[in-house]
Amino acid sequence: MRAVYPDREDVVIRDGVEVHYEVYGDGEPTLFFIPASPITHSRIWKGLIPHLARHYRVLTLDGRGNGKSSRPTDPRAHSQEVVLGDLLAVLDASDTPSAVFIAHCHANSWAVALAAANPDRVDALVAIEPGVPYLGTPQPHWVETAQHWDEILESPTGWQLNNRHAITTRHREWVEFFFGEQLVEPHSTKQHDDAVEWALESTGDVLAAGEEGFDFGLPDRETADGIYRSLDLPTLTIHGDRDICQHVDRGRAFAEITGGDLVILAGAGHLTPARDPVAVNLAIRQFVDKTRGIPMPSHVWPRGMSRRKKALFLSSPIGLGHVHRDLAIAEELRAVVPDLEIDWLAQHPVTPVLEGAGEKVHPASGWLASESGHIASEASGHELHCFQALRRMDEILVANFMIFQEVVEEGLYDLVIGDEAWDVDYYWHENPELKRASNVWLTDFVGYLPMPDGGEHEAYLTADYNAEMIEHIARFPRIRDRAIFVGNADDIYPAVFGPDLPKIRDWTEEHFQFSGYITGFTPPAAGLAEEWRSELGYQPDEKVCIVTVGGSGVGRALLEKVIEAYPIAKERMPELRMVAVAGPRIDPDSLPSRPGLEVHGYLEGLYRHLAVCDLAVVQGGLTTTMELAAAQRPFLYFPLYNHFEQNFHVRHRLDQYGAGRHMDFRSTDPDLLAEAIATEVGRQVHYHPVETDGAQRAARLIAELI
Amino acid sequence: MRAAYPDRAGHVERDGLGLGYEVFGQGEPTILLLPTWTIIHSRFWKMQVPYLARRNRVITYDGPGNGRSDRATDPARYSAESYAADAVAVLDACAVERAVVVGLSLGAQYATRLAALHPERVIGLALIGPALALGEPLPERAGIVESFQRPYPQDPQGWEKYNLAYWHDHYQDFAEFFFGQVFPEAHSTKPIEDAVGWALEGGPDILEAEASRPRPEVPDTEIFTEIDRPVLILHGTEDRIQPHRAGEEAARLSQGALVSMMGSGHMPNVRDPVRVNLLLRDFLERLSR
Repeated sequence: MRAVYPDREDVVIRDGVEVHYEVYGDGEPTLFFIPASPITHSRIWKGLIPHLARHYRVLTLDGRGNGKSSRPTDPRAHSQEVVLGDLLAVLDASDTPSAVFIAHCHANSWAVALAAANPDRVDALVAIEPGVPYLGTPQPHWVETAQHWDEILESPTGWQLNNRHAITTRHREWVEFFFGEQLVEPHSTKQHDDAVEWALESTGDVLAAGEEGFDFGLPDRETADGIYRSLDLPTLTIHGDRDICQHVDRGRAFAEITGGDLVILAGAGHLTPARDPVAVNLAIRQFVDKTRGIPMPSHVWPRGMSRRKKALFLSSPIGLGHVHRDLAIAEELRAVVPDLEIDWLAQHPVTPVLEGAGEKVHPASGWLASESGHIASEASGHELHCFQALRRMDEILVANFMIFQEVVEEGLYDLVIGDEAWDVDYYWHENPELKRASNVWLTDFVGYLPMPDGGEHEAYLTADYNAEMIEHIARFPRIRDRAIFVGNADDIYPAVFGPDLPKIRDWTEEHFQFSGYITGFTPPAAGLAEEWRSELGYQPDEKVCIVTVGGSGVGRALLEKVIEAYPIAKERMPELRMVAVAGPRIDPDSLPSRPGLEVHGYLEGLYRHLAVCDLAVVQGGLTTTMELAAAQRPFLYFPLYNHFEQNFHVRHRLDQYGAGRHMDFRSTDPDLLAEAIATEVGRQVHYHPVETDGAQRAARLIAELI
Repeated sequence: MRAAYPDRAGHVERDGLGLGYEVFGQGEPTILLLPTWTIIHSRFWKMQVPYLARRNRVITYDGPGNGRSDRATDPARYSAESYAADAVAVLDACAVERAVVVGLSLGAQYATRLAALHPERVIGLALIGPALALGEPLPERAGIVESFQRPYPQDPQGWEKYNLAYWHDHYQDFAEFFFGQVFPEAHSTKPIEDAVGWALEGGPDILEAEASRPRPEVPDTEIFTEIDRPVLILHGTEDRIQPHRAGEEAARLSQGALVSMMGSGHMPNVRDPVRVNLLLRDFLERLSR
C-alpha cells in the first residue's frame, strides 16, 4: 500500500504519447516533481510526497518512457523540446499556473530550460543531485563510455554497459550495476530493489532512446552558461557529496552560478530523496517557506518550569495487542507520576480502544497513513510475509515519522514512549539531531529472522536489517534512553542476528531491560471465572470453544477451516459450543453458517471470553496466545505462514510457558482439526505462570526518565 | 566583565542633550535596541547583545536620564515623540539608514512613534511586554496614577509605593518592590539585583520629570493605523506590569504575531533570554527575505 494516493490523476496526450500525472493535496504553492526519466518514474518521490502534500499541493509526472506514461523508442521523441512540451502540458492540464520545480539528476536540465523560456511558470527550483551540463566536474566514467556509445563491445562490464547495445540487450544488468554504484550508503537494499524495479518497468530500447534524445537541442557550453546566469529565481541545490552520477562539484557550481542555497548531504550518494527522505523533506520545506516569506506564526512558548510533564505514547496498530498493554503501562505510569499528561499518537484499530478508555488521542493521529491497512493488504490466505511487509512499509513509516516529528516539536513533550514505533526508532537514529525528548523503546521481539522459503536472499536481507539496527544503537546510544523488552531473557529466540553478527540473546541482554510479559489483563481467579462464565451466558455443562483471528484482516482461511470442522467435532462432543469472532475486517455474514455455530463480528470484552473458555483456536499472534497462557486455557494455535515473528519468536516464548498446542494450517484437515478440538477442549492445563506485574515494572523503568 | 564590548561607543547631542550609544558587530540589517523606562539603562539588553551582534550590527543607547546619557529634567524630553527623535539621532550618528527596532515595555511607545513618524528608518518592530494603553490596566495598578502625587500611607504596601513622595524618601525600597513585580518568576534574585543596581544609577528626580511627560500625540489605540511594518509581540502571561491581554490587543491592531510566553513576567529578555534571542533571530530572518 502507498502512504498516500493522488486526489486526481490523468494523462496528457502529445503526438500519441501519453504522459501521466498525479495531484496531491491543495495547499500553496504547487511543488512539481520531475523524475529523471526514463530510468525511473514518479515513485522515486514516495518518501517526500506524503509530507509535502500535507503542507503544499504536489504535482508529479511520469516522464515519457516509464511509469504510467507511454514508452516511445524513437530518440527524437525524447528531445528536450518534446519533454519541455510535456511539462508545460502537464502544468496546463493540472490547472497549475506556476510551481516550485523539484527535479532530480538530468531532469534539472529540463527544469532550467523551462525556467529560462517560461519564467512565469517556475516560482523556484529545488535541484537535487542536478545533472546540469557543463558545470563542475563531469564523472570520468560518463565521459569515457560516451565515446563508445555506439560500438559493439565484447562482453562489456561495469560502466562499459553504458552503451546502446549493452543497454538494449542487457538492460537488467545495466540498471542493477548502475543503482548498485549509486547507493553508496550501507543498508540500502530496499532503495536498490525499488530503483531497479522501477527501471525495469521500462525497457532497454526506451532507455537508450532517452539517453540519445537528451542530447537533441542541448545548448552549447556558452549558451548554457548564459542561461544559468540569467536564471532569476530562488534555487536550492541538494547534493550528496559521494554522488558518482553527478559529481557534487556540479551541485556546488549550480548553487553558486544561480546565487542559490546549497545543502550538502555528507556521506550520501545520488539518491538522497530515497535514502535520506527526512533530511530532504525538511530542506525543501524550509526553502519553500523561506521563498514564500511566511510571516512569523503566533504561538505559545511555555517557560521550561511552567510546563506540565507530558508524554507522547505511540502504540503500534499492527495487531491489537499493543494497545492493551500500553494502557496498562500508562495506568501504572500515572500511579508513579501523578501529574503526567499523556497524549497518544495512534491509528485504527488502536484509537477506538484508547477513546473508549477515556485517553486523549492527539488530533494529528488522523493524518497517519494506515499501517494496519498496509499489513492487511499484504496478507493472503493463511499467510503474511511479515518481514517483507514491514520492508514494503517504508514510505508509510517515513510519512508517519514526519507527522510524529511535527507533533513532538510543537507539543514540547518530555518523553516519547514508542511501543514498536518503528518509524521513530529508525528515523531518529538516521537523523539523530531531530531527537527532542527522552525516548523509550518497547518491543516484544528482537531480530528479523529469515523464513526458509525466502532462501539465501532473505537471509541476507534480514541480516542486513539487523546489522543496521545494531550499528544504529552502537553509534547513537543516546537515542534510546531506555529499551524495554516486554518479556524475559528466556523468551528471546536462540539464534544469531546473521552471519558474523552477535547472538540475539547476548546482544538483547546487553541493550535492554526486561519488564516481564504484560498482558494488560489480570486473569480471573477460580471463583470469578465462574461468575464471568455465567455472566457471558456459558452453561457449566457446555464446552465453550472460541475461535478468533485478531484484527489484521488475515484469518478468513482459518475461520472457514474451523467452521468446516465444527459439525464433525460437534458430533463427537455434543456439549461443544463454538463461538467464532471474525474481527473488524471480515464481514461475519460472508462466512458459511452451520446450525448451532455462533459467528460474531465483534465480541465485547473478548478477553473475558478467552479467559473462561474451554478451548480457543487462534493464529500465532503473541497477544492472544499469551492471554490464553496467562488464563491457563487450552488452545490450538496456527502461526501464519512466512510470519517470522509468529513462527519463531512467539512459538519459542509459548514453549517457555509450556503453553498451547502448535498446529500447522495446511496439514490440518477438518477431521484432524475436529479431533484436536475434541481432545483439547476442557483439558486441565498447567502452564508456567505468566507474571502479572509487567506493566508496573515497565512503568517504573519509564518513570525514571521523567 | 561583559560578554561583549562595543566596537564603537560615542555620544550624540540632540537638542542640547548628550546621548551615549554603543555599536556592536556588523552585518545587515542593523538592530536598534531602544531604551525603556528610564529607571534603568541600556545594560538590560546584556543577554541579547552578544548573540545578536555575532551576525548583525547592534546599537544600544541610554535614554535621557540614565546610563551614559545626560540627566534631563524637562518632562518634554521624555515624550514618546522625543524618544523617537533621539533614536533617529542615534541612527544618524551611526550612519545607519534603517534598522529592525526592538522595544521593551515603554520602549514599545518609543518604537511605535519611531515607526509612525520615520517609517523609512524602520524595517520591522519587535515589542516585548509592550506598555501601550490598550484596554484596562491590571487591577492592582488601576489607582496608581491618581494616588501618585498624594501623600503615601504610613506603611505602604505593594503598589502604594508607586508614589512620588515615597520615591524621594525610599527610592531603593521602591526599586526593589518594582523589580520584584517585574520578575515574578521563581529564583530571579540576580535579575532583580541587577535592575535595582541600574536604578540606583539614576534617581527619583529623573523619574519625577519622566512622570510628567506629555501624553503621546497619537493615542496607543490608534498608533498602529499609522504603521506599515511587520510587528512581533512577545508577552509574558504572568506579566504584572502590563497585562498579557494588552499584548494580544497590540498583535491584533498591528496584525502582527504574538508569542505568549507562558509563565514569564515583564522582562523575558532577561529571565528567558535564550528563547527571546531565538525568537528575535527568527523574526529577523523572516524580515530579511
